[in-house]
Amino acid sequence: MVRDQEQECCRARRRSRTLAGMGLTVVVLMVGISTIFTGTVAAQEAAAPVLKIDTGDTAWVLMSTALVLAMILPGLALFYGGLVRSKNILGTIMQSIVVLCLVSLLWIIAGYSLAFGPDKGGLIGGLEWVGLSGVGSDPHPVYGPTIPHQVFMLFQLMFAAITPALITGAVAERMKFTALLIFAGLWSLLIYVPVAHWVWGGGWLGKMGALDFAGGAVVHISSGVSALVCAIVLGKRKGYGSDYMAPHNLPFTLLGTGLLWFGWFGFNAGSALGANGLAASTFLATHAAAATGAVVWMAVEWKHRGKPTVLGIASGAVAGLATVTPASGFIGPFSAIIIGGFAGILCYFAVVWKGRMGYDDSLDVVGIHGVGGVFGILATGLFASKAINAAGADGLFFGNAGLLGIQAVMVVAVALFSLIGTWLILKVVQLAVGLRVSPEDESTGLDLSQHNERAYS
Amino acid sequence: MKRSIRIMTTMLPVLACAILVGTEGGYAQEAGVSAPVMSAPLSQEAVPAVAPAQPKIDTGDTTWLLVSTAMVLAMTAPGLALFYAGMVRSKNALGTIMQSFIILCLISLQWVLWGYSLAFGPDKGHLIGGLEWLGLSGVGLEPNADYAATVPHQAFMIFQMMFAVIAPALMTGAFAERMKFSSFLVFTLLWATFIYDPLAHWVWAVGGWIRNLGALDFAGGTVVHISSGAAALACAIVMKKRLGYGKEHMAPHNLPMTVLGASLLWFGWFGFNAGSAVASGALATSAFVVTNTAAATAALAWMMVEWIYRGTPTVLGAASGAVAGLVAITPASGFVGPMASIAIGLGAGILCYGAVLWKARLGYDDALDVVGIHGVGGIWGALATGLFASKAINAAGADGLFYGNPGLLGTQALAVLISVVFVFIGTGVLLKLVDGVMGLRVSEEQERMGLDLSQHEERAYS
Repeated sequence: MVRDQEQECCRARRRSRTLAGMGLTVVVLMVGISTIFTGTVAAQEAAAPVLKIDTGDTAWVLMSTALVLAMILPGLALFYGGLVRSKNILGTIMQSIVVLCLVSLLWIIAGYSLAFGPDKGGLIGGLEWVGLSGVGSDPHPVYGPTIPHQVFMLFQLMFAAITPALITGAVAERMKFTALLIFAGLWSLLIYVPVAHWVWGGGWLGKMGALDFAGGAVVHISSGVSALVCAIVLGKRKGYGSDYMAPHNLPFTLLGTGLLWFGWFGFNAGSALGANGLAASTFLATHAAAATGAVVWMAVEWKHRGKPTVLGIASGAVAGLATVTPASGFIGPFSAIIIGGFAGILCYFAVVWKGRMGYDDSLDVVGIHGVGGVFGILATGLFASKAINAAGADGLFFGNAGLLGIQAVMVVAVALFSLIGTWLILKVVQLAVGLRVSPEDESTGLDLSQHNERAYS
Repeated sequence: MKRSIRIMTTMLPVLACAILVGTEGGYAQEAGVSAPVMSAPLSQEAVPAVAPAQPKIDTGDTTWLLVSTAMVLAMTAPGLALFYAGMVRSKNALGTIMQSFIILCLISLQWVLWGYSLAFGPDKGHLIGGLEWLGLSGVGLEPNADYAATVPHQAFMIFQMMFAVIAPALMTGAFAERMKFSSFLVFTLLWATFIYDPLAHWVWAVGGWIRNLGALDFAGGTVVHISSGAAALACAIVMKKRLGYGKEHMAPHNLPMTVLGASLLWFGWFGFNAGSAVASGALATSAFVVTNTAAATAALAWMMVEWIYRGTPTVLGAASGAVAGLVAITPASGFVGPMASIAIGLGAGILCYGAVLWKARLGYDDALDVVGIHGVGGIWGALATGLFASKAINAAGADGLFYGNPGLLGTQALAVLISVVFVFIGTGVLLKLVDGVMGLRVSEEQERMGLDLSQHEERAYS
């Protein structure tokens, strides 16, 4: 009944039909593959070396996986959904939903193998783990020796899903749904997967000694830089700078912020891959940086604009969280406070300066995740300490200047790769289906034009 | 109004009696309860030498089960409450939320007082649990090896409580926007006692006859989803249509709220399914992986089918698809691998979408599609378990048709049939009973006014 109302008029029917048809074929093919692999997984499980599963560690990483899911749905979906105009909220939420679903499938089928499978020349993982064959319940010696290998795979799946979802803030209110679907799939396989391999999967950046505890480069720099490219290639929203475009529901945004903060404990402290001292120290650093980032952003805004805003304190918290991410497992609480403080200042001014630069990064992905991510990776080179994590390295302030250089190389490499790769993918998608909705559809809003639904009635 | 207060007051003494009976009966029974449950801390030093298999509490397993319990709570309130509330008209938002919320409170008590004992207590004739565990007497902090050998028995009890809570809460979607609050309370209590508790016993309890048949239901496909789906059908038929159904505009009043609810359902479902391993380790992990995969696949499948069939992919469709996938994977989650879960999710997205479409032709008003999603999804999941289950994933399970054992599919089908018939008829009888005593529906004026004002004298938005 609910679905039956006011949904009969439909445009773009023919094109979406063919696209949907293509999508369906892909899904059907996957199921075909499925039956073949179920057998293989089982066969491989018995062969792997036996490491001991710890129930506490497994419980914590399972919980963390669920927490990172909550960052995407409903966290990010509502954070972004509240910031757009009411005619675009469903379209915005839908982008997070569909990215999560699509990447979940791609990751299991091929993404995980390419990112974390046996290393090929430092650049990419092999195809040995395609369809999760060989990824069973026995622990992997590197990827969490006390948890089932599949837990690590799933935890990483959530990271792979949130990264393209973050980018959607830059294309908000104007990207065609079909274009987004194709872009997200390509981006996940062609940008996220290689970067994750370089840093975490035994690739060249990781071997060089670059430190990224929970995804400052892999998640935040890659999504921030790609967001910049998207904002430039897509162009401004209709009426940007002249029309009133205030957030339509800030309490939604705050609810989203709360869930992001909540989920970030899983994101960062879960990256310890166990319930242990490192997880506790990471948890503390995460919280300290978020609180400091929020308070400092508020203070700077108060001084600079005259009023402390609720959106400001929420953005400050997210900036603090994004910035401390790569450092969280290598630093103590006081370093986290300093990092959070700088995050509040730097990201605030990045967002203010955006207005002068002229690109329409609608929901400030560049200012918060890009700038925060870059600063966080460099700050790791300053504040990291072996006293906190013996498996890490000392940073500049602990007598090792070399780490800062390595971190800088990582920033440049990941930023350049994301920049060029995203631009190429966007051009391909533009040629294939076009990137933007028509001007009339944009005026109508994504909810009605792309999904034939109204958020509120 | 006055009448409902009177009914509530008559119910109070019944509850009080149950507490008394529970505690007294319990103490008398202590000696008879199986040893691991009641072995007091005093005797513990002596015990290991005598009984080497003494269950020991594992902190990791207990942590996971406790967290899972909280996650399943989040599925009912706020998850399901908001999922449903966003789909009704704004004048019924509070009434809809209230139903989930009060079920959480009501069944929490019912479960502690007598529900757990009826469902999981010592078996009587393979049909029902005994009264030995009334008021949780005998359900202590020592593990019960029959159900979960490494966690306190009470942790297992409270995890199961959240299942008993969500099953009737799911059903409320079928009679949304028109049921009288007092009748709803009485009906829920009766349904939990006479439908849910016996069914849970049959399927999950030691000695339950469907369990003895060898039917597999890892996390509640039959007990929770088929039961709530079949009951929802009975409710929709007995309660009849909403005023203006088919003529008036009844679009969801707040879809972002529905998405918020669906997201929290997805989040909580990890506790529901992976928590059902009642331990933290390989089986919980495997259940977690297939849960996420099936949800994602079903959401995409529903979206694609809708895109082809109607021309636009909708947000409500994606959210419904995800829930359908979660429902379908529930019974299979502990027995299948990730690739099988893609097939199960795909089937769920397509079948449930079709079921929701066909509903309109059948003419009953299952307001929020409980039958189409939970009933059909649950049945598909139970049958799919008979197809895809594999002992390589869970040695305690069985092989399905695709692994060379066609017998399991028959057993699953039999379990489905029995559950549907039992629940459908039982729910119909209970509804007629409550209807005869106090009436089921609000008056026409009250329905027009909305449940918020007529039942609770509150407005959701002002």
